[in-house]
Amino acid sequence: MSSYKTVLSKINLRDSFGAWWENATKRQRIIFRVALIGLFYALPFLDNPIIGTPETNFQSVLFYPLAVFVVMAVGLNIVVGKSGILDLGYVAFFAIGAYTHAVLGTFYGVNLWINIILGAAFAMVAGVILGLPALRLRGDYLAIITLGFGEIVRIVALNLEFTGGAAGIQGIPAPPNIFNVTFDVLDPKPHYWLMLTFTMLVVWMYMRLGKRRPGRAWEAIREDEDVAEFMGVETTKYKLWAFVLGGAIGGGAGAIYASQVASILPDYFTLNVSILVLACVVFGGMGNIWGVIAGAALLQYLPEKLRFLSETRILIFGLLMVVMMNIRPDGLFPRKKREKVYDKVTGQEISR
Amino acid sequence: MTKLLEVKNLTMEFGGVVALKEVNLHVSAGEIAALIGPNGAGKTTVFNVVTGYYQPTKGDVSLNSQSVLGLKPNKIARLGLARTFQNIRLFGDMTALENVMTGADARNKVGLIGSIFGTSTSRQDEKLSHSRAAELLTFMGISHRSGQLARNLPYGDQRRLEIARALALEPKVLLLDEPAAGFNPQEKVELGELIKKIRDAGFAVLLIEHDMSLVMKISDRVSVLDFGQKIAEGTPSEIQSNQKVIDAYLGVVDNAS
Amino acid sequence: MDFSILWSEFFGLTLDGIVVGAIYALVSLGYTLVYGVLRLINFAHSEIFMIGTFTSLGLSIVFGYTGLEEPLGIVLFFFVFLVMALASGIASGMSAVLLEFVAYRRLRRRGANCLSSLISAIGASFFLVELFRLTTESKDWDFPRMLSKDPVFSISTAYFTLDKIIILLGAFGLMFGLDRIINTTRLGRGIRAVSQDEKTAILMGVNVDRVISFTFLLGGVLAGFASTFYMLFYESTKFNVGFLLGISAFTAAVLGGIGNIRGALVGSFVLGLLQQYSSVVLGYNWRDVVTFVILVFVLLFKPTGLFGEAIQRARV
Repeated sequence: MSSYKTVLSKINLRDSFGAWWENATKRQRIIFRVALIGLFYALPFLDNPIIGTPETNFQSVLFYPLAVFVVMAVGLNIVVGKSGILDLGYVAFFAIGAYTHAVLGTFYGVNLWINIILGAAFAMVAGVILGLPALRLRGDYLAIITLGFGEIVRIVALNLEFTGGAAGIQGIPAPPNIFNVTFDVLDPKPHYWLMLTFTMLVVWMYMRLGKRRPGRAWEAIREDEDVAEFMGVETTKYKLWAFVLGGAIGGGAGAIYASQVASILPDYFTLNVSILVLACVVFGGMGNIWGVIAGAALLQYLPEKLRFLSETRILIFGLLMVVMMNIRPDGLFPRKKREKVYDKVTGQEISR
Repeated sequence: MTKLLEVKNLTMEFGGVVALKEVNLHVSAGEIAALIGPNGAGKTTVFNVVTGYYQPTKGDVSLNSQSVLGLKPNKIARLGLARTFQNIRLFGDMTALENVMTGADARNKVGLIGSIFGTSTSRQDEKLSHSRAAELLTFMGISHRSGQLARNLPYGDQRRLEIARALALEPKVLLLDEPAAGFNPQEKVELGELIKKIRDAGFAVLLIEHDMSLVMKISDRVSVLDFGQKIAEGTPSEIQSNQKVIDAYLGVVDNAS
Repeated sequence: MDFSILWSEFFGLTLDGIVVGAIYALVSLGYTLVYGVLRLINFAHSEIFMIGTFTSLGLSIVFGYTGLEEPLGIVLFFFVFLVMALASGIASGMSAVLLEFVAYRRLRRRGANCLSSLISAIGASFFLVELFRLTTESKDWDFPRMLSKDPVFSISTAYFTLDKIIILLGAFGLMFGLDRIINTTRLGRGIRAVSQDEKTAILMGVNVDRVISFTFLLGGVLAGFASTFYMLFYESTKFNVGFLLGISAFTAAVLGGIGNIRGALVGSFVLGLLQQYSSVVLGYNWRDVVTFVILVFVLLFKPTGLFGEAIQRARV
């Protein structure tokens, strides 16, 4: 028993990669980045029996659920992982973005590029409206209110004529061709590339914030909000920013999603989606963006690859959340070196 | 001597309980002032009111002759009032350096938008926070801990880190809440030297402490609280011979602890 | 907004409100007790209730009462009902204890923060819901009518049927029993001690682990009894029955002041009544929206509820 643990502990990918990265030259790093990005763009062409998904079109899986959930996990990570604000209604922002494009695109002819921005903007506004009163509350109460918000958005979409009611909206337009690439329902590749580009923009933005003052402020808020206040962090402002940025990301993703699927129903935006995204953040490593991306990709890919997992997806995700919190609360790819934790009562080291 | 921090007629009531009654305190530039008193006397409450966590029922708090009543704690912190906590409250999952940088950030101007666009000011700010934090870690003697997670630091270093973080705010007045708790006599002596070093570096210090020998050795002035009221104030030797204080407090303290 | 039905049916609505309130009360006590000792909202408590409903349902199938055409005789009914209630109480109680052990204990031991416990709670809740969804094929499961629902007596429009009387008596009896347990037994004292000051309780020799398990057990047993009452009254269950009922019970606890037992009771009856009244004034579809609005309003404007204390922030 102990031998496999010692073996596992020696294979610490994070640290060995970290060590290589530290010593790599600038040129090596650039090459690595370019290669990695190239790989992501090339993914749709890598469909083969080993990687490919048996029952669904691999390329369409790449878009949904993979790319969609990865970007949403990045967005939710800012809120939950980094800042410690438990948002159980994240799907609301996604829905707002999707309906923005669905309504404005289908009925008013507004193109996707504008709708991505508008979708993000409306989601941000919603974030402010919800956040201003709700963020004053304690964690558990806040979680419940966000859950309610998510449900309210869905119920409103379900009941309004304007959003198509229970029948939803069909015939949502895709953007016109660019560079001779056709966007349509049949070929998921361009939309996948679009979502990928969006994701990279989001990650780029996050990198600029995460390692700097906003990132520290968010983490301080997560660790001990009162003390963060005492240390000069404008907690209200930063909490709202985390919430709103997370919302904007969800909104933008929603617009792109609506464009690809071409028809949406309120049923697509249930509480389950919020929980699925949360599971991705929890699994991948709260606060660690690479962990979250890897975790989200893994969690969304596996059920597609292994059919039996697909039916019991939520069951497993629920179990996963319990297991992760208990055994590896730092997530699969913890942010920092895994350090020792001690049992409060007995003082003994809890081995992981 | 300029009174940097002034507390006038401070009364703090929680529902029916009067935690503080008409307390007057001040801390002047270049001094180490101590606040002592039996447990429950209201000392930490003073800190909480002064830093803006509670709004006093009556009275005023001013920093540099400007009233800070009604201001949010983060604003008061940035105006120049920093504190540590009785039960150490660090940002556990952040490294020592990051903890101190959080404090140093408060001195910078650039916020979120600037950071996204990576303006040169934001990059400068980042370097500044980094170097200030590193300096402070060295000043407190824990620069070797800079990359370690705060929650894994040994107790003594955690206390030092908390002080470093507070100093990063470049406060006019530093509030220390029982900084010597849990230290052995040798460590307490070192702490005393450290506090004097901080005072000599230009910070004014207000200290809550139970260890009498430490307080008497390093303080310039001592105020005594009992049941929410100030019962005495003076130099350490005056306080030691004050009968009221002895009755309330000093008489039962075992100086060997 | 139609108030005419409200006035004409006032007594009936009030009776129903109190009956439903009684069921809520038993469940909301689970939320409030756990919150008192752990400062945690046990999201999965709604599923503990749901497990109870399926236990009662399962027994009804085992006893062969599905498709029952005539109600059972009174004596037989009481016996059967008692067995079901006890079984559900035990099933829910033990599920609750198991839940605490699996999902929360380790987190509590290592002093994990609020966020981790909440996520674990949510995970557990979803796991249980999905588990039952998959095993019960997402459909409504009907409970046989074992007791005649002819009114025994009536006051104006309030028709006192036997099931309502049983529920009221049973619920009050249980609440009285709980009160005795909390106030006279050692574990009950432990609950009160840990709710007020965990550290001192430990110093005073209180075995916190045992107290917490006991708290979950109590809450679970009450929810189990409530679930049998629920089946008696509503005669149907489904895998997600916990969701709405849980929201109502939780809202009741918050309304009364979370952590406060008396508050949970008052909140439950108030909510039960409000739900009944609003469903005739605004229409049945709006009932759950009303519950939700009450919850949001209380949380935003008076988070301490009617009787609670401000546990908003940690003491500095």
